[in-house]
Amino acid sequence: MEVKNTSKVKLVASGIIPFAFLVIMIAYIFGPGSDLIDLGVSLPEITIEKVEFLDSEIVVTVRNTGPMAVDVVMADVNDRIHPAAIEPDKHLERFETAVVRIPFLWNVAEPYLIGITTDDGTRFEKEVEAAAPSLEPNLELAGFFAIIGTYVGIIPVMIGLLWLPFIRRISKSKYHFFLALTAGLLLFLGIDATEEALEVSQDTLADSFNGVLLVATVVLLSFLALYYAGERLVQNSSLGRMTKPVAVALMVSIGIGLHNFGEGLAIGAAIGLGQVALSTFLIVGFAIHNTTEGIAIASPLAKGKQMIRLLAGLGILAGAPAIFGAWVGGFVYSPFTAIIFLSIGAGAIFQVIVILIRWLQDEGDKKLSSTAVVSGLAIGMLVMYLTSILI
Amino acid sequence: MIKLNAKLMLTVIVAAVSISLLYFVFPELTEAQTEKTFVTHSGAIIKTTGDIIDPVYLPQTVEFDPQKYLREFSYGHISTLDDGRTLREFTIIAEDDKIMEISPGVFYNVWTFNGTVPGPTIRATEGDLVRIHFINNGKRSHTMHFHGIHQANMDGVFESVGPGGKFTYEWDAIPVGVHPYHCHVMPLEEHIAHGLYGVYIVDPKEGRPKADEMVMVLNGFDTDFDTENNFYAANSIPFYYQHHPIQINTNELVRIYVVNMLEFDPINNFHLHGNLYYYYPTGTDTVPFTFTDMITLSQSERGIMEFEYTYPGKYLFHAHKVEFSEKGWVGIFLAKNSDDKVE
Repeated sequence: MEVKNTSKVKLVASGIIPFAFLVIMIAYIFGPGSDLIDLGVSLPEITIEKVEFLDSEIVVTVRNTGPMAVDVVMADVNDRIHPAAIEPDKHLERFETAVVRIPFLWNVAEPYLIGITTDDGTRFEKEVEAAAPSLEPNLELAGFFAIIGTYVGIIPVMIGLLWLPFIRRISKSKYHFFLALTAGLLLFLGIDATEEALEVSQDTLADSFNGVLLVATVVLLSFLALYYAGERLVQNSSLGRMTKPVAVALMVSIGIGLHNFGEGLAIGAAIGLGQVALSTFLIVGFAIHNTTEGIAIASPLAKGKQMIRLLAGLGILAGAPAIFGAWVGGFVYSPFTAIIFLSIGAGAIFQVIVILIRWLQDEGDKKLSSTAVVSGLAIGMLVMYLTSILI
Repeated sequence: MIKLNAKLMLTVIVAAVSISLLYFVFPELTEAQTEKTFVTHSGAIIKTTGDIIDPVYLPQTVEFDPQKYLREFSYGHISTLDDGRTLREFTIIAEDDKIMEISPGVFYNVWTFNGTVPGPTIRATEGDLVRIHFINNGKRSHTMHFHGIHQANMDGVFESVGPGGKFTYEWDAIPVGVHPYHCHVMPLEEHIAHGLYGVYIVDPKEGRPKADEMVMVLNGFDTDFDTENNFYAANSIPFYYQHHPIQINTNELVRIYVVNMLEFDPINNFHLHGNLYYYYPTGTDTVPFTFTDMITLSQSERGIMEFEYTYPGKYLFHAHKVEFSEKGWVGIFLAKNSDDKVE
């Protein structure tokens, strides 16, 4: 008993001691040792995250992305100083945000350069290519976004699901082709979402957020979380093998749902930024593009007995997030949110791909080199690429 | 047991990550505060619970008072030489470590002669002997270079005065007019842009007609060092005379000694509303060169303007290069009926 206790104490101590040293080192660096390593000059930095055009007012969201606290002391429009209000207050701690309200009679479709000056006299600016009235959240607009989301998300996915009876009747190797096709489609979507997230992070996110690493981290976390949950889902099913296709289809739906959320975000943001012509293209493109996603959900289900209700449920799970995405994108867009959601979607999709590939491996005698699988993957990517040109 | 722990840990990690994400994604919620109403100088009205960021100073809070500088002339310590001439002695101290609030909330490292930008307005009469005791209390070398006529070794160019050093400049006050003085140490642009300049006036022996005299140095500050001015002003403080108008009297001659010390922008100008002025370039001639409401000034170009208002009221004066005026180089003359004046 004694021995056991001492060993336990030793175990705990050996775990804690390195940690204690780390704490001491950090305390030293921040405390008495701070002069020793205080090299270089740290510069303040703020990032203009969002510019909104309201009725005779320009509203600018700023974030302190520098290494120290700053005061926001002046605002300008097109390099001309304008009095303004800042809420909640002008003092910004690290990573804190504030909203600068500049009374200004702006003109629709004209470019504006918004400048914000901090207490040391440094001016930060952001260009808006064309001013457009900001969307005020109201029921009418929410309904409008819901309709767009339905066109882009739910309807195309449902149409895609209609291929299910067809997939059902085909031979095993052709079925493998469709499973591989699904994986190919998803691979494309995953890369697409990652690229989009990286693009947003490069364009609008402050350097201090480490955009690329943020995307990588969120993609991986999302992948791991869903992978872990997915494995449990498949393992814990008491019905045995029959539920595996459902479980896979469910995960495909979740993955595609998260992806469609990202697409809704893009559409909502495009409308919010006044790029209306662009958003019409986006809507048509996404609708065609998303029909293929229905096939992705249908394929795993092809060999089981299915209920219409289950299919409809999966279709909505995959399609409806486009509506929520459009709401978020149109009403409360922030680059940070967009990157997070796009990355979660990408991670979810990569996770589904892994599950699909493993399934194909199990079914196809541990090989992935069959004509059906290779051509399915290839055609999946190609189809997606070609439909993506429409967007 | 281990499995449970793993699950618990995962839950904790997921919870921690989501909470920290929320912190970044959504701006912090703040409790409702009392709403203030604020009218901007362009007439717009804002109601806000937050702070107002406005380039307007109250006279009580301004560090450098443009109203005081405007009509302040330094005639020096006066004594008479053996030959009967007047000797004017000035002590000028250069510093380069002062941080000044040049516009509300904007702090900038100004380099100063006698603690201000612009430095003191040095005034002498034609033919006086001027002696400047220059002390450099800065960390860099500085000099004083006066425009005017003097000996080569009094030019403040080759006799660089190091930190802690002293130098005595001496010359006869000629020619009549309004001249700038400034530091002439390389890199020159840096020394001038930081504020090492001022005005030097030489009055004609017979004097000029009595007038309400004032000095305006047209200058600017490049606070983020991108070789473009962030602020423009007459006498350093942006928008100051707009919110604190310069009071003058109708039917009384106003004389402005105007000197353009702006760096980075090749030209500056001066437009007066509701009136025209007689302009004497460099102030060297007693006959006006032109009668206008608009003059253009290049670097260190200067002159004397004379005008009188007939009608009382508020009159704007500003750079007609609107960028400059909308970044601070704008002011107002408030002309009061001279009859109302309490004698």
